[in-house]
Amino acid sequence: MSDGAADDAGPAPSPSLVRRLLRRSRLSPVGLRRRILLTFGLGALMLSTFLAFTTYGLVRSNLLSQRDTASLRAAYRNAQVVQSALRGEPTTPASATAQLQQLGVQRSLIRYQGQWSAGIGRFGPEALPPTLVQRVTDDEVPARMITSVGNEPVVVVGIPLPELGSYFEFFSLDEDERTLANVALSLLLAAVITTALGILLGMFAARRAVRPVADVASAAKALAGGDLETRLPTTDDPDLDVLVTSFNDMAATLQRRVERDARFASDVSHELRSPLMTLSASVEVMEARRADLPERAQSALDLLASDVSRFQGLVEDLLEISRFDAGAIRLNLEDLPVADFVRHAIAVSATPNTPVSATRRAEVAMISGDRRRLARVVANLVDNSRAYGGGEPTVTIADANLPDEPVSHVQIAFEDDGPGVPTEERALIFERFARGGSAGRRAGSEGAGLGLALVDEHVRMHGGRVWVEDRLDGRPGARFVIELPSWEPAVSTPGIGQEDLVP
Amino acid sequence: MGTRILAVEDDERIREAVKLALEDEGWSVEGAASGEEAVELFHRQVPDVVLIDIMLPGIDGFELCRTLRKSSDVPIVMVTARNDTHDVVAGLEAGADDYLTKPFAPKELSARIRALLRRIRPTQPGHERLVFGDLELIPEEGTVLRGGQPVHLTRTEFRLLCELAENRGKVFSREELLDRVWGYDYFGDGRLVDVHIRRLRTKVEIDAAAPRHVVTVRGLGYRLQS
Repeated sequence: MSDGAADDAGPAPSPSLVRRLLRRSRLSPVGLRRRILLTFGLGALMLSTFLAFTTYGLVRSNLLSQRDTASLRAAYRNAQVVQSALRGEPTTPASATAQLQQLGVQRSLIRYQGQWSAGIGRFGPEALPPTLVQRVTDDEVPARMITSVGNEPVVVVGIPLPELGSYFEFFSLDEDERTLANVALSLLLAAVITTALGILLGMFAARRAVRPVADVASAAKALAGGDLETRLPTTDDPDLDVLVTSFNDMAATLQRRVERDARFASDVSHELRSPLMTLSASVEVMEARRADLPERAQSALDLLASDVSRFQGLVEDLLEISRFDAGAIRLNLEDLPVADFVRHAIAVSATPNTPVSATRRAEVAMISGDRRRLARVVANLVDNSRAYGGGEPTVTIADANLPDEPVSHVQIAFEDDGPGVPTEERALIFERFARGGSAGRRAGSEGAGLGLALVDEHVRMHGGRVWVEDRLDGRPGARFVIELPSWEPAVSTPGIGQEDLVP
Repeated sequence: MGTRILAVEDDERIREAVKLALEDEGWSVEGAASGEEAVELFHRQVPDVVLIDIMLPGIDGFELCRTLRKSSDVPIVMVTARNDTHDVVAGLEAGADDYLTKPFAPKELSARIRALLRRIRPTQPGHERLVFGDLELIPEEGTVLRGGQPVHLTRTEFRLLCELAENRGKVFSREELLDRVWGYDYFGDGRLVDVHIRRLRTKVEIDAAAPRHVVTVRGLGYRLQS
C-alpha cells in the first residue's frame, strides 16, 4: 500500500495529517500571541504615521495660506499709504518710508522713478528675488514669493504703483516655521505614544485571545491527570461557545466512559463476592472432613481450596483497584514507627520468619501511613519474592539520607535470589496484569498480576515510590525498593506510635 | 446448653454455607432472611451472638441493629460490603460490636464470634469494685454505677471500661485495647476502639464532648481517671 492511500484512510489523525500540521507550523513559526502583538503594533505605527503626516500637511498649508492672505492684505494697505504719500505732495520715498515706519512697517522697499529706497539691514533691494522684481516692475502685476533672507524664511510681496513705481514688503515666516516645528514634534510624540499604546493593546488582546486556549490546555491537562469533573466555564462569546461546548461534551463523554468501565469492574467484583462466600464456607466445611474423603477426592479438595483462596485474593485486589479508579480510597493515616511496623507486617505475612534488619536511624524513623494498606504492600512484595524470586526475601530498612542530613525518606528493600528483572521490564511489571515479557518463567500459579500494580498505587498514595533494581551485592536477584517520606521523632516520645487519636 | 447464633442474611446460599461452617464449630445456628424475620426469631429465643448483613431487603442492617440494641446487649457482628465507606462507622454507631468485610473466610468469622463470647464472661474476677470519682464498677456483677445510678452498657463497652479501669492511670494505645478487648493483632481496625470509646462516653460521662473520666491522651491512647 502506498503512503498516500494510507493517508486517506479513516478519520483518525493519520501520520500525514500530523506531518502536514507540523509543516504548516514550520511555515509560520510565529506564535498566535506574537502575531497579534505584531499586527497591533504595526497597525498603530502605520495609522499614527499616516495621521501625523496628514495633520502636518494640513496645518502647514492652512498656516501658509493664512499668512499669505494676511501678507497680501497688509501689503495692499501699505501700498495704498505709499501711493497716496507719493501722490499727495511732491515728496521723496524717504518720507513715505517714514510714514510707514510710523505705522510699524519696517521691512518695506519703495521703487520710485527707477530708484530704490534704502531698506533696513539685510532687507535691501539686493535681497529681492530678481524674477519677482521683474514681474512687478516690468509686467506691472502684483506678485509674491517665498524666499529667505539670511537664515530667515520670508514671503516677499510686490505691488506695482501705477505711474509711480512699485512697493515691496518682507513678511517673516519665522514664527510659522517655529509653530510648524512644534506641531511636527507634537505629532511625532503622538505617533510614538499611539504606537506604544497599540503594542500595549496588542499585548492585552493577545493575552485575551490566548486565554481561552490556555484555559482549554489546562483543563485538558487536568482531565488527563484524572480529574474527570473538569469542565470549562460557559461563555457568552459565540466564537468560543463552540469550543467550550464541544470540549465539555468531550469531557462528559470521557467521564461517562471511564466511570462505566470503573463501575463495571467494581460491579463484577461485587457480584463475585456472594458466590465466593458460599464457595469458601463450603470448602471449609469439607476441609473439616478431609480425613473422611477418599484420596482422589482429597486431592481435588486441596486444588479447590487453594484456588478458592486465590480467587478470593484476586477479587479483593480487583475491588481495591476499582476503588482506586473510582477515587474512593481514603487513607486512614497514622504515625507509625517504620521498623516496628514492617516487623509486624512480616509477622502476619506468608513468611513470618523473614529476618528484618534496619539501620540505626531507620530503627526510630516514623512514617505516616495506612497501617492495613501498607501491610498489604509488604505482603504483596513478600508474595512476589516467593512466587518469582526463589523464596523468601531479605528485608532491610534504611534511611535514604546522608548521615549529616535529617531523615526525610526511608527505603524498605526486598531482595530475592531469583533471576532478577530485565531492565526493559522494570517499569512494566508494575502495570496491571503485566507479567513481563518472560511470561513463561514468571507466570507461576500465584501470578495474579495485580499485586505489584496495587503496591505501586498504594505507595504513590502515601507520597512514596517503588521501583525494582539489581541486587546491591551484585549477585543475581531482584531488589524491590519502597521509598516513603519519613522523619525522626522528637526525643521525648521514643519508640511509641504517635497515633492521631480521635476523641 | 450450646451457644446459639442468629445469622441474618438475605442470600440463601451464603446463609446456608455460613450455617454449615458455624455448626462445625459446635454452635447451633438459626438463619433469618430479613430484618423482620430476625426480630421475630430474636424475641422467641434470645441468641448469644447475632450476625447481620447490612444489605437487607426491608429494614436494613443498621435499623435492625438499633432495634435489637433497644432491648438487648447481645453481641452483634456486622457484615459490610466494603470497609472504605462510612458503612463500618455507621454500623458501629448503630451498636455493632465488631464487623467483617465480604468475602470473609468462615474461620475468621468463628474467631470473631469466639472473641465476643469470651467477652461475655469476664475472665479475671480480680477486683470487687473500682471507683473513679462518681463512677463505680462492679466487675463481678457486670454493673456500672454513675452517682449511684446504674448505667446500662453493652458487654463490649463494659469489657472496654474494665480494661481501662483495672490498670488505674495507665494509658492504653489503640492496639493494646484492640488486642485485649477484641483479640485483634497489630492490624486491627482502630475505628473499633474510637467508636466504642465514643459510645462509652455518651453513657458514663455527664458531657460526652468534654469527657472527665475516659480521656484521650493525644498521640498515645486512652486513659480512665477519676
